[in-house]
Amino acid sequence: MQRRFEADAENSPRMISVADEELMLQVRNGEGDMLGVLFERYHVPLFNFYARLMGDRTVSEDLVQEVFLRILRYRETYQPGTPFRPWMYQIARNARMDHYRKAPRHETFEPDIVPPVVPPDSAQQQQEDALLHRALMQLSEDKREVLILARFQELKYTEIARLLGCELNTVKTRVHRALRDLREAFRQLEQGVQKNPSGSAAPDISLGRAGQ
Amino acid sequence: MKCEQIAELLPDFLRGGLKREQAEIVERHLNECAECRDEAAVWEKLALLPAAEPSPAGRRRFEEMLRAYQAGQAEQAASFAGLQLTPRRAAFGWLRSPLVQLAGGLALVAIGFLLGNGLNRVRSQSDDLATVRTELTNMRQLVVISMLQQQSASERLQGVSYSQREARLDPQVLAALLHTLRYDSSVDVRLAALDALSSHAGQPQVRTGVTDALQAQQSPLVQVALIDQLLEWRDPDSVQRLRNFQQSPNLNPTVRERAAWAVSKLQ
Repeated sequence: MQRRFEADAENSPRMISVADEELMLQVRNGEGDMLGVLFERYHVPLFNFYARLMGDRTVSEDLVQEVFLRILRYRETYQPGTPFRPWMYQIARNARMDHYRKAPRHETFEPDIVPPVVPPDSAQQQQEDALLHRALMQLSEDKREVLILARFQELKYTEIARLLGCELNTVKTRVHRALRDLREAFRQLEQGVQKNPSGSAAPDISLGRAGQ
Repeated sequence: MKCEQIAELLPDFLRGGLKREQAEIVERHLNECAECRDEAAVWEKLALLPAAEPSPAGRRRFEEMLRAYQAGQAEQAASFAGLQLTPRRAAFGWLRSPLVQLAGGLALVAIGFLLGNGLNRVRSQSDDLATVRTELTNMRQLVVISMLQQQSASERLQGVSYSQREARLDPQVLAALLHTLRYDSSVDVRLAALDALSSHAGQPQVRTGVTDALQAQQSPLVQVALIDQLLEWRDPDSVQRLRNFQQSPNLNPTVRERAAWAVSKLQ
């Protein structure tokens, strides 16, 4: 339950004194230091957005840097009254597309993001996390993205709709379809493990690479 | 209620966005339907996936970028103060801004275009447009070169990003960017220059210039970026260069490791 509380903390109102939008306006007016505050607030969520989506640590770190560089570069395009988070994710998505344009994605997808080592509240929990992570990685990138945006990035469905350039109902349909596929992938992986209970470690490529 | 109808409500239900009445309908359905219940369960499980921690190097990189930007801002403020002292320059100083120069140039092109059109209607319009485009391209490139020579890092940074609007760059602009990559005082500007150059790998001078820049580079950040770039190009010639570089004394251990890794990938 402890872990659950932590995971949900990102969805509860944060203890902050100055709104993101106010900070961004100051950045826009040349107060570069304020970007440091926004970096502290968002570099981890952004990193996880990319990491969960693309499964590559190095690329994810580079793209986080790119997002903040672009925020500085394009700070004058930030309009007062624009919610900051969707604006930032718009930049984040563009940065990712430019990245793909420069380095086309590999055909064989081998995630190198490993769920980090957590205090072992139970081996079973860890195995479940690993399976769910693999199931998530099996989804098509579009489905994975919409699910990640809805579940982890603190964006409203209306904001996601604007971000993806589609209708609100389309977003909900896509979330549901992605969730259905995820459930299916997760179930199959679970059955695979039950059929082949060779120790607690799931036969996970990413876990295999962790030692390198 | 059927699963399809529940499916419409489920995304809102999962985020607590339903009114009580509807939420109860969904809950009742979940009690009866294992499939939908599993979907809700997977949604809950997602929240338990631990978040990954980015490496601390990210914060350092960010701070370096910010410092470069602020250094640029400070220089700009200083040069603005300088302008204040001489009213003549203050009054006409804005004319020296590259962007104003560009606007002036655009106006001239536009006038030229209109004149050319008026004088010579025989030429097809697409010919004219092509001419204007060429002139525009040339002018943008001049602006890039002038911006790369500015005092302030943020203006030079602007110059670099400005160069990225052109698909093809003149050899002089490429040379200016390579010069920036090697000698610019700001790490951020050097990194941006590398980024801009990376899309011009087709030009042999770019590849040679980027490979040469590696030896001269002092900042580990730029060194790593250069190594990554060479790896991305997969140029067989760069293996030997990387090997030599890897042997150089006083190298940051991370950079040395990166170079070794790149060599192993290129072999």
